[in-house]
Parts: sequence; C-alpha cells; structure tokens
Amino acid sequence: MRVVIVEDNALLREGIVALLRERDVEVVAQAEDGDGLLRVISGHKPDLAIVDVRLPPSFTDEGLRAAIEARRRHPGLAVLILSQYVEPVYTAELLAEGQGGVGYLLKERVGDVRAFIDALERVAAGGTALDREVVAQLVDTRRGGAGGGALETLTPREREVLELMAEGRTNAAIARSMVVRPGAVEKHISNIFGKLDLPASDDDHRRVLAVLTFLQAGG
Amino acid sequence: MALSLHAALSILLCVLVAVVWAAAGGGEFWPMWVWFALAIPLAIHALAFDVRRRPPARAKALLVHAQVTGLIAAILIVIWALAGFGTFWPAWAFFGLALALGAHGIVVNRERLPQARERELVERVDELTRTRRGALDVQAAELRRIERDLHDGAQARLVALSMLMGRAEERLEDRPEVAALVRRAREEASAAIGELRDLARGIAPPVLADRGLKAAIESLAERSLIPVTVDVHLTRRPPPVVETSAYFVAAEGITNVAKHGGGAGARVAVDGDADRVVVEISDDGPGGADPVGSGLTGLKHRVEALDGELEIDTGPGGTTIRAVLPCGS
Repeated sequence: MRVVIVEDNALLREGIVALLRERDVEVVAQAEDGDGLLRVISGHKPDLAIVDVRLPPSFTDEGLRAAIEARRRHPGLAVLILSQYVEPVYTAELLAEGQGGVGYLLKERVGDVRAFIDALERVAAGGTALDREVVAQLVDTRRGGAGGGALETLTPREREVLELMAEGRTNAAIARSMVVRPGAVEKHISNIFGKLDLPASDDDHRRVLAVLTFLQAGG
Repeated sequence: MALSLHAALSILLCVLVAVVWAAAGGGEFWPMWVWFALAIPLAIHALAFDVRRRPPARAKALLVHAQVTGLIAAILIVIWALAGFGTFWPAWAFFGLALALGAHGIVVNRERLPQARERELVERVDELTRTRRGALDVQAAELRRIERDLHDGAQARLVALSMLMGRAEERLEDRPEVAALVRRAREEASAAIGELRDLARGIAPPVLADRGLKAAIESLAERSLIPVTVDVHLTRRPPPVVETSAYFVAAEGITNVAKHGGGAGARVAVDGDADRVVVEISDDGPGGADPVGSGLTGLKHRVEALDGELEIDTGPGGTTIRAVLPCGS
C-alpha cells in the first residue's frame, strides 16, 4: 500500500510515518498544506491519502476542502481524514463527493495500531472507516428525530449492524462485536439492503450505499 | 458697512464741531459734549453689531449683559469726568450694575452645572460601553487562541504520546502483561485527549471558527435529538464575540426545546447585518420554559454583557426565545 501523509504538525507527521513504516506501509510523500496534498497526489498516484483537517494557511478546514478537491480531480482516490474533533457536517461532505474509499477518524485512534492499519486497508480498498464518535452522534440524531424514511423501519438489531457497518467493520468483526454467528449478521445485512431498497449488485457497493443512506438521512 | 459709515460720519461731525468752536474764538471747550453725545450711539451701534455677529450660545445673553454693563459704566465715568470730577458718585450705580450682572451669572451657571454633569456622565457611559466591548472582543479572541493552543500543543502531544505507546504495545507481543499496562496507559491518554476536546468545544466549537454561524448551527441541528430547521441570513460575518454568543443562544435554545418541548421540533432563525444579529428559537411545544432557570439565566447574562436583549415568550402555544445582539462599532 502506497500512502501520502498531509499533516502540518511535524511531531504527529513523523509519528504516523514511523508507525506505518514499522508495519511495512510505504509512505511515498509527505506534505504540510492543502496545495501540497494536490501536488503529491498528482505526482505520486498513491493508493491512499491521510489528511489532517486543520492545515495552513487558514488553519480551519483547509485539509477537508483539499481532500474533497483531490477526490474530484482523481476519481477513486481513497482519503482518510484525521482530526482532533469529529464534525458530522464534514463527514457528510466528504461522503457526498465522488467514489472511492473514505474514512474520518480521530487522531488518537492511530495509537491503536492494528485497528488503524485495518482502517487504512479498508479505505484503500474502497470501503469506509468512520470514527465511532461520528457514528454515535449521527445515530443519536436519527433515533430521536422524525424522518429518516426507510431507516425508521429497521429493527434495533439491524440498526446496530448498520452502525457497525458505518464504522467500516467486516461481517466477521460485526459478529464478534455483537456476539452472534456470522450467518446472523449476513441475514441482518440482507434485511437492511431490502428495507433500504438497495439493488442487488456486488455486496461492497451496497454496503457503501447503505452507510451513505444512514449518514445522510434526516438531519 | 453701516457701522463704518456711522463711525466716519461721527468723526466728520466731531471735526466740524471743533472747527466751528475754533472759528467762534475758542473759550470753554464745549464740543466735548457733542463728542460725548455722538460717541454713545456709536458705541451702542458697535455693541449691537458685535452681538449680531456672535453665534448663539448658552452664555451669549450673559456676555451681552456684561458688555451693556461695561458701556453704561464707561458713560457714567465720562459724565463724571466731564462734570469736573469731584465725589465719585458713579460708585453707587456700579454697585447696582455689578449686583445685576452677578445675579444673571449665577442663574446662567446654575442652569449649566447639571448639564455639564450630564454630558460628563454620557461621555463616561460611552467610554465604558466601548471599553467593555473591547474587553469582550479581546476575551473572545483569547479564548479562540487558547483553543488553538490546546489543539496544537497539549492535544497534539498527547496524540503523539498515544502513537508512541501504540508502537511500544506492538513490540511487546511476547510480554502480554506489559503490553496490557501500555494499552491502559494509552487509553488514559485517549481519555485525556477526549476531555481536552470537550473543553475546547465548550470554548468555541471548531466548526464555528472554521465555517461561521450558519454551519455551526446546522451542525447543532445535525446532532440534536429533535428535528431542527435552520434559517440563517447574515449580510456579513459578525465579530467573534457576537458569533460565539449567538451560537450558544441557539445551542441552549435547542437543548431547551429538546428538554421541555414535549418532542416538538425547533425552528432556529438568525438574521443579521452590520449593526446587530437577531437569534430566534421557537417551538410548538406545551410552553412553560422557566425564565429564571439556570440555562436561560446564563444566556441572559451572556447576552446582556453585549448590551443585548433576551426575551422569552412562553405559553400553551409554544415558546420563543429571542436574542438581539448589537455588533458594536
């Protein structure tokens, strides 16, 4: 896996690079701002870009905007956003644009090396990896609010499966987490696809669509 | 023009009278009485001219009074001198004139004193308003700086720490009990990061600084347990202190509706221009918001610190919280 890292804080950038190198992930380029991101992606064609939200010169959401722009210019580019805070609005914007894997994780999740590498691989392969904080906030909204359409018809169990899918877990991981057999998870997932009226195509694609429905409903 | 003509004619007459006196063979110098008679109307004319030319002012009447008094005193002295000196009888007249002028002066100044005091107070209030506003602006900027310092400083270091501990954990696979300790340490670091994040969010949510009021309130609506419609119209970005206050009014208002609105949805409307920002949160719930409850009291203090107003209108048809926040200048 070839990745680029865009992070202005040298301490964190070097920390992530060292951690990835130990796990044999190839860091092909590093940058410190939004323009740098667009440059290294054109130059290196990486499998995945790891991008900090807050970057110079504005130190606001520069990184997010650059990532969205990069996905527009390079369809299929996988982007993992790292941030020190979760912001549902940003997550929704990221998911709304283009195809290819996306992730949004809190920076401290990097410390859980195995889970972080898993998330990287999932996103690079076109999947999603959303921080459980983002998911928790969005799920709270959906539960209390009216609307959400088809999502309202899901049972609590199916909803739980969908939350875990939104975090980007595999069926096996979902089964472990819910302490059920993998077959039960598959059954829930097929019910979810049915209720959300997602066409039968390849499962990964439907998975992404289900998660998108989940994240963009209501609000 | 009229005054200079008057003066020229008077001087001409004076010279003429003196010539007549000389031609008549001198003697007692009677023309001085004519001169005196000519000088009085000239002096009055000059005085009137001067009065007309001065702009109207509070003390103008007093000044005119003083000038007239001066003129009368001068006339009396001249008459006394022309009459061959002797006992200084004009002293009595002076006494009367001075008394009248003094009384006039006191009356005018008694009127003026409270006005001066009032003006002083108005200036002081203006100054205090300005400096308090300045202090609040500085405070808002300081809080945002603290938020950024936390982000780039302590939080970033803790994140770096948790990365290092994660790497250490990876290398301790053969010593599971030590790995477990390191993992616990990493979880503690994560908890500290979480607490710092909550602290920073309480100061000002990052999305407010990043994107402004509209995005921040939309984000609140996203997170809320009840449906919230958001309608924001701003002709320009308000100063940070106003923006932060407007945000917290909306946040507290939405929380209030979620708590007491009986499941009703909330509407948030923000309307702002260069002078002020109006935030209104309304619902169709059962009403009964407590205006002296801690949340609303806190809001009231926040709004009043900006010289704004917070109105709470609650009844069976619903509750409306409306804050008007002046933007200062």
